[in-house]
Order: sequence, then C-alpha cells, then structure tokens
Amino acid sequence: MIIAIILLPLIAGLISLMVPDRLKGVKEGIALFSTIIGLIIAALLFKQNIMFTIPWLGFGIDLSFRLYHFSAFILLAIAGFGAAISLYSVAFMWGKEKLNQFYAYFLLTVAFANGAVLANNLILMLFFWEGLLLTLFGMIIIGKKEAFKTAIKAFVIVGITDLCLMLGIALTGSLADTFTMSMISLPTSGLGALAFVLLMIGAIAKAGSMPFHSWIPDAALDAPLPFMAIMPAAIEKLLGIYFLTRISLDLFRLNPGSKISLLLMTIGALTILLAVMMALIQKDYKRLLSYHAISQVGYMILGIGTMVPAGIVGGLFHMINNALYKSCLFLSGGSVEKQTGTTDLSKLGGLGKQMPITFICFIVAAVSISGVPPFNGFFSKEMIYDGALERGWIFYLAAVLGSFFTAASFLKLGHAAYFGKSETANKTKEASWAILLPMIVIAGLCVLFGVYNPLPLHALIQPVLGAKLEGRDFAGLPTNAIIVLITLVVLAAAVLNHWFGVRRTGKGIGAADHIHYAPGLSQTYDLAEKRYFDPYDIGMKIANWLAKLLNAVDKAIDWIYEKLTVGVTFAFTSAIRWSHSGNVSTYVVWSLAGAAVAIIMVLIR
Amino acid sequence: MNVLLLLLILMVLAGLWSILTSLLLRATIALALTSVLLTVVMFQMNAPLAAVFELSVCAGLISVVFISVISLTHRQPLKEYLARRQKRILRFWPLPVLLLVVGVGLSFVHRPVHIMLPHPTAFGDIRIMMWQLRRLDLFGQILVLLAGVYGVLILFRGNKNGN
Amino acid sequence: MNYLLIFVPFIALVLVNLLPKKLRPISSFLVLLLILAAQSIFAALAPFGLIRAVGAVRMEHLFGFHLLIDNLSLLLLLSAGIVGFSALMVAWHSIKDEDDRFNFTNLLFILLIGMNGISMLRDLFSLYVFIEAIAVSTFIMILLYKAREAYEGALKYLILSVVASVMMLSSIALFIMFCGGTSFEVIKLSLVSSGALARIAIALFICGLFIKGGLVPFHGWLADAYTSAPAPVSVVLAGVVTKASGIFTLIRLLTAVIGFSPATKDLLLIIGAISIVIGALAALGQKDIKRMLAYSSISQMGYILVALGCGTRLGLIAAAFHFLNHAIFKSQLFANAAAVEEQTGSRDLGSLGGLAQKMPVTGITSAIASLSTAGIPPLSGFWSKLLIIIALWVSGNYFYAVIAVLASLLTLAYFLTLQREAFFGQVSVKVSSVTEASAGMLIPAVLLSAMTVGLGLVFPFVIKYFVR
Repeated sequence: MIIAIILLPLIAGLISLMVPDRLKGVKEGIALFSTIIGLIIAALLFKQNIMFTIPWLGFGIDLSFRLYHFSAFILLAIAGFGAAISLYSVAFMWGKEKLNQFYAYFLLTVAFANGAVLANNLILMLFFWEGLLLTLFGMIIIGKKEAFKTAIKAFVIVGITDLCLMLGIALTGSLADTFTMSMISLPTSGLGALAFVLLMIGAIAKAGSMPFHSWIPDAALDAPLPFMAIMPAAIEKLLGIYFLTRISLDLFRLNPGSKISLLLMTIGALTILLAVMMALIQKDYKRLLSYHAISQVGYMILGIGTMVPAGIVGGLFHMINNALYKSCLFLSGGSVEKQTGTTDLSKLGGLGKQMPITFICFIVAAVSISGVPPFNGFFSKEMIYDGALERGWIFYLAAVLGSFFTAASFLKLGHAAYFGKSETANKTKEASWAILLPMIVIAGLCVLFGVYNPLPLHALIQPVLGAKLEGRDFAGLPTNAIIVLITLVVLAAAVLNHWFGVRRTGKGIGAADHIHYAPGLSQTYDLAEKRYFDPYDIGMKIANWLAKLLNAVDKAIDWIYEKLTVGVTFAFTSAIRWSHSGNVSTYVVWSLAGAAVAIIMVLIR
Repeated sequence: MNVLLLLLILMVLAGLWSILTSLLLRATIALALTSVLLTVVMFQMNAPLAAVFELSVCAGLISVVFISVISLTHRQPLKEYLARRQKRILRFWPLPVLLLVVGVGLSFVHRPVHIMLPHPTAFGDIRIMMWQLRRLDLFGQILVLLAGVYGVLILFRGNKNGN
Repeated sequence: MNYLLIFVPFIALVLVNLLPKKLRPISSFLVLLLILAAQSIFAALAPFGLIRAVGAVRMEHLFGFHLLIDNLSLLLLLSAGIVGFSALMVAWHSIKDEDDRFNFTNLLFILLIGMNGISMLRDLFSLYVFIEAIAVSTFIMILLYKAREAYEGALKYLILSVVASVMMLSSIALFIMFCGGTSFEVIKLSLVSSGALARIAIALFICGLFIKGGLVPFHGWLADAYTSAPAPVSVVLAGVVTKASGIFTLIRLLTAVIGFSPATKDLLLIIGAISIVIGALAALGQKDIKRMLAYSSISQMGYILVALGCGTRLGLIAAAFHFLNHAIFKSQLFANAAAVEEQTGSRDLGSLGGLAQKMPVTGITSAIASLSTAGIPPLSGFWSKLLIIIALWVSGNYFYAVIAVLASLLTLAYFLTLQREAFFGQVSVKVSSVTEASAGMLIPAVLLSAMTVGLGLVFPFVIKYFVR
C-alpha cells in the first residue's frame, strides 16, 4: 500500500508520457483514474502507522518509508488536490499541446511528493525532492514560448536552494551519524545551527518564501494554470511546510527563545509584508494570486517560527487552509481565463452575473484568505496572531498589516473582475461542470474547516504536535477577544480603504492606486516591477558580469596559447630567417664574435 | 727590433691594400707582397724553414694560380666597376680604423709574456723530424692530397664537358 | 685491428683505382660496402667481448704511432659504418653517372679513413690533420654535380672551415708554446698548472670544433652545405661527418684532455641551449625539406652539447646515446628526403602533399624517424632525450632542462609540419603520378627505422653498451 501510492502515479505518469497526442482522452483517463485511486489509498492509509525499510545503497542510506499521522495527513491532502486538479485539468487543458508531457509531469509530481513525504531517510527524501525540481522545470517549460526563461529561473533558484538542502543533509547526517529521520535529534548550536539553516533554506524555498520566490509570479503568467494550482499553491506549500515542521519539531530541538526561531519569524514577517505589498498593485488575476501564494507562506513560517503551541498549530492549520483557498482561487482564475481568454484585470469586469458559481467560489475563498469569520482562514490566522503576540508585538503588527493588505487586494480583485462592466462580460458563459466541481468541493471544505474547525484540528493537526501541545486544545472559537476585535477593525479598515480608492479613481481596479502611487512607495514599486529587487536577477547580473570576466580571462589564456605563443615563435622564426641572409661574411662575423665571447667567458670565470 | 717593427707595419699595410683594392690583379700582387714581407720577418726571427715554405708556396705558387685564374675572367664595364669600387670602400673603411684602435689599445696593455718555448730536439733535418715524430700526420696529408686529386678530377671533367 | 681500420680502406682505395676502368665503379662499391658492413659489425659486437683487438704492439713498432680503441671510438666507428652504408646505398641509386658514382665512392673511402682515424687518435695535431682531410673531401663531395648552388654551399663551408682551421691551429700553437707537445698526455699534464693562455687555447679549439659541428652562432655554413649537397652526400654529411669532426672530437677532447671546468660547462650549456632553440625555430620556418632537416640537425647537436655540459657520467652517456641515435634517424630522414626528391623532383613542402599514399614505405619510415627525433616513446630518440633531461635535472641545471623539454615541443611542431605538408593530407597535383622509390633507396630507410624501433624497445639492454 505504502509503496503503491508512490508507484501508481509514477507508472501512470510514465505511461501517459508514451501515449501519443492523437489518442484523445486516454491520458486524461489515466490521470483521473490514478489520482482517484490514490485518494482512496490515502484515505485507507489514514490513521495507520507503517514502517517500511529495505537496505539500499549502504552507508546508512536505506529505502525507508514511514507512515504516521503527519505524513498520512499530508498524503491525504496531496491526493485530494491531485484528484481535484486532475479533474479540473481534463476540462481546462482539453485540446492543448504537449498534453502527454503535462500529465506525465503532473503525475510524477504527485508521485515524487508522496515519496518525499513518506521518506524516512534524508537521502531518499532528497532523491524525491530533486525529482520535483525536474517536474517543476518540465511543467513551466511546456507553457508559453517565453516560458523557457522562467523555467531556467525556477530551475536555478530551486536548484541552488536544493544544493543548500543537500549540504544541510550531508551535515546533518554527519552530525547525527545517521540519515534515518526518525532517529535524528540534534541541538541547534554550532554546526547544528548551520545544518538547520541549510535545511530550512531548502524547505522554505520549496514553500516559496522570500527571498526564493521570484520565479513564482513569472511562472503564473507563463506556465499552464493547473500547474499553478497544484505546485506553488498546494503541493509545494504542503511539502515545504511539512519539512520545515519536521526539522523544527523532530530533527532539531528548538526553543521558543532561540535565534533560529527569531530568524524564522523575521523571514515570515518580511515575506508576509513584502509579498502582499506587491500583490496589492498587480493588474493581472494570476500574478496577483501568485504574490499571495508567497505572502501566505509568510504566515505559516511565522506561525511555526514562534515555537509556541498556538503558533505551530496555527501555522499548520494555515498550511492546509491556504492550500484549499489558494487552489480554489487559482482555479477560479483558470475558469475566468478559460471563458474570457484573458486574466488582465483591466479587460475583465462584470463577470459576477455571467459566472455566478465561479463568483461564489471566489468569494468564499477570498473571504477565507482575508480572514473573515467564520471561514477557515480566520481561525488559523487568529492562532498565528496569538502565537506571534506571545513572542513580540512587532511580529503581530506585521501579521495584522499583512491581513489588511490581503483584504484590500482581494476587494480590489473581486471588484475589478466580477463587478463593473467590460466588453466581453455579456458574451461570457459559466464554465463547465468539470471545472466547477473541484472549485465547489474545495470552497465547501473552506467553509467546513471554518465552521466546524474541530474536525481538521483534532483529526489532522493537533496529533502532529503530540506532547508539544502541552495539553491545550485550539478547537472552537478563539479565546483572545481583543485579537478578534482588532482583526475585525482591520477588516473594516480594509473595506473603508477600498471604498476610498474606488471613489478616488471610479474603478475597482484602481482601488489600490492611492497606495501604489503614494510618495516614496511609487518609486520603490517601479524598481520592484523592473525586478531590481529580484535576488535571481541580481544574481544573474553578477553571474553575467563574472561570466564576462571569466570569458575574458579564458580568451586571454587562449590568446596566449593560440596567438601569442605561435606569434612569438613565428616572429622569432622569421627573424632568424631574415638574419640568415646567406652572406658568408655575416656568418664569419658571427663565428668570430661567438669565439670572442667564448674566450672572454673562459677568461673571466 | 726597429727593422722588424717596420717590416711588420709594412706587412700590415700590404695586407690592408690587398683587401681594400678593387682590382683582383692588384690584390694578388699585394698578397704576394705581404707574403714576401712575412718571409723577411721569418728570416729575421731565425726560422729559415718556415720562410722558405712561405716564399715558395704563398708568394710563388698561390700567386701563379690566382693570376692564371684571373686571366680567365672577363673585364667588368667601367660604370659597374666604379659603382663597385664605391661600395667596396664603404664596406671596408672600418677595417683600418679597427686595426689602429686594437693596436693602440694593445700597446697600452703591454704585459710581457715569459713563456719557455720547447727546446728544439734533434731537429737537424725537417724530413727526419717529420718522419720520426709525425708519420700519422703525413698519412693524413696524403689523404688530403688524394681528396684534392679527386677534386681536380671532378672539376676538370666538368670544364671538359663545358658545364 | 686498430690499424686495419685505417689501412684496409686505404689499400682497398688504391687497389680499386688500379683496376681496369670498366670494373672500377662496381668493384669499389662492393668493396666499400663490405668494409662498411664489417666495420659496423665489429663496432657493434666489440664492446660485448665477442671480437678482440689483436696485434696492437707489433703494429706500433712498425708504424711509429699508436692508435687506441675505447668505447667512445667504437661509437663513432659504429655510426660511421651505419651511415656510410646507408649513404652508399642511396648513392648507388641516386647518382646516375658512373664516373660520378666512382668518385663519390673514392671520396667516401677517404672520409671513412678520416673518421676512423679521428676515432682512435691521441694527438691534437693529428686530429687537426684528419679533420682537414675530412673537410677537403667533403667540399669536393658537395661539388660532385657542380651545380651552381653547390658551389655556394661548398664555398661557405670552405670559408668557415678556414676560420675554424685558423682557430684550431692557433690553439695548437699556443698548446705547443706552453706544453711542448701536442699529444693528449703531454697537454693533460701541463694543463694541471695552466694560466689564462691555456684557457684561451682551449676556448679557441672548442670554438673551432663548434664551427665544424655547426652550432649556433657558428653554423652559417651548415644549412647551405647540407641543402646544396647531392642526396647521398647530405646523408653522410648530416649523419656522421659534421658530428665526427665537431662533436665527437669535442667529446674526446673533454674526456681525455681538458676535463670539465665550470667555464667550459657553462660554455657548452649556453651554446647548446642557443643551438637547440634557434635551430628548432629556424627549422619551423623552412619550406625546403633538406633545409628543415639541416636546422633540425643544429638543434639536435645542441641537445648533445647540453648533455655534455652537465659534466657528469650520466650526461656523457646521454650525449653518446643521442649521438648514435642522431646518426641513425638523421641519416634516415635525409635518405627519405633523397627518395622524395628522386621520385618527385622537388623538395618544396608547399608543392608536396599526400605522399604517404603514393610512397607508403618512405612515409612510414619518415614518420618513425620524425617521432624518434621529437622524442616520442618507445622509439630510441625518446630514451636519449629522456636521459639528457634527467642528466640536466640531476646535475642541477633546471633552466636548461626546461628549455630542453620545451624545445622538444618545437621539434614535434616542425616535424609534424613536415609530415603534414609532405606525406599526409590531400594528394597534390604534382605528386599524383608518383610511385614508390626503388628498393635500393628503401633498404637503408627500412634498416635505419628498424634500428630506431629496435634500439628503443631493447633500450635497457642497449644502455649497457654506453655505460661500459
């Protein structure tokens, strides 16, 4: 069973790669079938504990899998999203090019993700983790024609962070003297801290945190939309946060007051704020969502970084919530794109009447992400606030500010896309059932997880913490009334801000212009849009410069070998030829001069 | 000593003339003159054997060979001759200057060299000396002569064929 | 045996010339071939105790002078035998006129006697006389066809030889002045307490030998003489004559008389290094096969010289080994060049190309000799070059060792140029109807390249020959 859940999508993916494009429906069938079977298996495996170990490469590298409540929970989530999105893809991707590659990568992604979650050996996990890098690259590159650059960008960024992960794994392995994850328990001091930071870089980069985020907004425009819904929005978040939680809770012994915890919270807070500020000014449906995908990671990292039960539970709860509403949002974006042919907000408008079901799903997801009670985002955010406040008001402030901008940007997005007017609005129809069904299911889960939050908390999340929970139970209504009050005030402020922006410009899309073009911010935004702050672009500039320098050095060395040596040699040769004029008296003079020098030499020695 | 010095200076001058002159015939005559002067110097220094060889071979035989060869050559047109003479002078003018400088320079050094020359042992007759001590060298000389004979053969046959 | 080496060729020469005119060319050829073969076999086997020199004492009484054979002598005797044999084979096929051929054979007799004499002499003046004998017969050999360029080459050789003679004679005069004799023992004894004059004498004699051996900057005559000489003459000239009168005499002088003083060592090293580099660079720029080989010869002489300049036993061994190797591969390369010139009528690299297809034997043997010269294992040239470099390194002359290594790259460069332009690549228009050279031309080439390969393969056995 435990192997089947990895092998099934793997084999299905390889088969669909071989199915030619002419046979319509076969690949879709394979994908749908294998993901639904996968979901069933994952559901059957839930609540089981299985250890599975076969000696493999030696040197402590075993083929070792471990199924317990945490990995079973992530497995179930992956399987659920896999099933929903494969259904969605059938409708969305129908008739497009390179479908065999798309489904192959999609299924391989599921397989590798399952493997990485189940792996109980760091090297084995790295093997699956790197496999995800390949499918990521493949998924992006089959998008638009310009996708190549983005794919390279993603590959380089993820590749570098995976390198850090690799180093971290090597270091961890040597420190702990084993690669088996369930046997590792290291202190975070000295080299341990370095190992933790290296592993953490791998984890948060997979989750899409700043500063390893910059490929995501580009991929949002270039890559196929289901890819966005499954990879950055769902699976990668799940995996990244899963691994971050594992290293924070299991592999390393972290304390709430440690510097590592502070580092994590700082990264989380900065990611929340910076990404949401960028999201606020976006004029494209998918690009706006992609920045939120980054921003929400900040909440999870902040939550886990607090290292207090409320924060960790909130972070994990937020992880699953985010996966739900974010994929729902991406799917709604895909639905809009499928029906109107564009995701540019300035061309959209008035879709609320034409696509009511999409609209409703969008609203559910949007209020969830904004943290409006009683949807699921509200509860997880409250827990994170609680944890953050416990560790310092500044982190709480960052989280609340992020919440404000999140609400503001979704008000803007909803207003621009679904209200108002546009040329295309009247001709647009509601999407097909295969597109709507996954959205409805996911939106329904959003509501369910909010209204009846003990279900996810008791069944899925709180068992993960075990003893670290300190016997507390976070199910039910939030306990801290002041935090709830502040949240409500912030939401109201976001609505007011939206009203102010719309009145100022008269359009939904202009709702955030007063922030966008505020003095000081506007220049920063310009630079950010030109990618001056993109670590990848900066790195590429440095790399280009270095490459030019090295190229020049290489050319110089080549020149020395090919031109200078040969040139000097032939210069000498021609000089010698020139001096051998054939004149005997010259030769006699040479001989006499040589003899004279020889005699002098002999005399002075 | 003064006579010797005078003779040496004359010899050097004759040698210079033989090099500097532009006419082959004059050069030959100057060379012969140099040899004659050298012969006189050798007589002065009590080396009659060497003097006789020098006189007979260098002043006599070689001059005859040179003159006979020169008689086979063509006369150069006057214009070319003049141009050539100009060039010769240009080419060789540093020679006397160099000679003078070296001579003057050496006169300043003036370090008397005291070397014990090997005592002449039973040199009564040059033939006996050669035969008793240097038979191998004589053999070598025979080889040189033989080679010379073949040389004449080769070159002479060439003339006969008109090459 | 010692005396036979001189007198047998001499008597044979006289007898052959007394024969009826019709019989002369063929008989002289056969007799000389026999003598050369016998000499080669003797020299090759003597060090292993298979043939003994007998009757020396009685002969000395008879002639009033003595000749000594040591291992160094055998080296020259062997080289002379092998190279003379090859040159004679080449001559038989490349010299068309019977009279010319007969004259060449006679001159080769004289050359052989001269070289054999040099190998065994123990007297400075006699050495000079024999060197002159060799030189005179070489001038005339070069003039064999009386070609215009041959006159030029011979004249240059003559003039520089005269300069060398003046140097050697004045050196001998100086030696007589303060030693009272010219035999090696006498000079060696009086050199123990020698002054500046003795040093000048030594330097003068060495410089004279440098001219004879054609080392930079005393090499002006060499390229012209080698190039303008008829094919068999250049084989013998490059293979052994200049080495015998220049390098061999130098080795003899250094080991038997003057020894290695720091100044002589420096002189040898510097002149050797200059010769290596300038010879190789000059060879790189040549378009004429023979001229290229001539400059390569200068470069290889430089290698022998730097090996000598170490002043160590290993250096001497290396020099001796390279001496033999050079005799073998250089005479073979000139034999190849002769074959090419014979078949195509050209020595210009620019107009040749793809000859290896038309003349496979010549192409392969020439490649072997080239690679051996450039020092590619396992050919014999590799071992001697390796020994030279090791000798330089061990004796602390790191700079010269580096030069030797780098220059062997240049050697490879010009030989690859030669091979590419002449033997490989597209068959040029000029050589499209060329056929392989006749068997007589190929025999020496095949024989010599077989020696190159064989010596390289049985190197550990061969090296004992030199260590002895």
